[in-house]
Amino acid sequence: MSAWIVILAVGLGSYLFRLSMILLIDRITMSPQLDRASGLVAPAAFAALAAGGVATACTSVGASQAAAPLAAVAAALIAVLRTGSSYAAILVGMPTLWITTSLLPG
Amino acid sequence: MINLVANRRDVAAGARAMVPWLVGIVPFGLVIGLSAAQADIPTLAGWLTGPLIYAGSSQVATIEMLDNGAAPVVVVVAALVINVRLILYSATMARHWRGTSWRWRFVAAYLLVDPSLAVGLDGYGRRIDRGRAHARYLGGAVLLWVSWLAAIGIGATVGAGLPTWLHLEFVIPLYLVGEVATKLADPALRRTIFVASAVAILALSAPLHLGMALAIAAGITAGLTVRPVERLEPTHPSRQTTEVPR
Repeated sequence: MSAWIVILAVGLGSYLFRLSMILLIDRITMSPQLDRASGLVAPAAFAALAAGGVATACTSVGASQAAAPLAAVAAALIAVLRTGSSYAAILVGMPTLWITTSLLPG
Repeated sequence: MINLVANRRDVAAGARAMVPWLVGIVPFGLVIGLSAAQADIPTLAGWLTGPLIYAGSSQVATIEMLDNGAAPVVVVVAALVINVRLILYSATMARHWRGTSWRWRFVAAYLLVDPSLAVGLDGYGRRIDRGRAHARYLGGAVLLWVSWLAAIGIGATVGAGLPTWLHLEFVIPLYLVGEVATKLADPALRRTIFVASAVAILALSAPLHLGMALAIAAGITAGLTVRPVERLEPTHPSRQTTEVPR
């Protein structure tokens, strides 16, 4: 299955989700447990993607430079917790990554 | 069917109500465009996640998982799991769109995502004619759609020509770190985030990249073990999460 088909399938499924209750509102009710679970999906997915992405970055650059992504994440976390803005993670984390990468032995 | 000419003031009002959302949405679109350009998939395919999926979280997940070589079925399932909340949005808007034409429902449903839901509900909550409220929803939703696709397109165009030393592939993980960091105050979300992160790292070498799906499931399960507390619903865009067109 190519990337095109995957994206098409996700798009079609997402559209059907959007249409679902508009077409079936009188027949289906959402349980409270499913309602709660749906609110946890995005944070769980984001956390998993972030952790996986950072871990992959650390392993792909070699042991000598693995500290650079970790330093970037640490700086990003501090910036976000201090400012409350998720975009601070990029604004602080990327420069930190560039600086630490240039300082560490290659 | 709504009359856009007669209700042009409501269309404009909806667009104006969407502007605060765009401040958070446009940078996210640029980031997705950048990641699409950097990912090991055709840039056009990455951009097409905008009009086809039109939900930022699952667009990110789809692009990143395809780039990491995840099995297609895993990508589709994970991306759709992320979008399950769209069913809730659909249920929310259904009562406002009951009795409308099929054409309206098909178009309005396509544009339904976090910010358009918020702007739409604001309109339906006002004591105005339902046709005017539809126009307000459409005005905000169309502005969001155009801005979103433009932002992704600009990000993808600029991103393709940038040097590799910039390590732009790290922008999305950092953005996601920022997103989850803003949710750590909530006990259920905190447990969800920690467990999902830990499982994702432990399952990094899982076959077919099933670690992602496993991490999401583990995170949700862990979050559900936290007793829910009554919370006030946010009422202003600035207090919402920046999950967009997600």
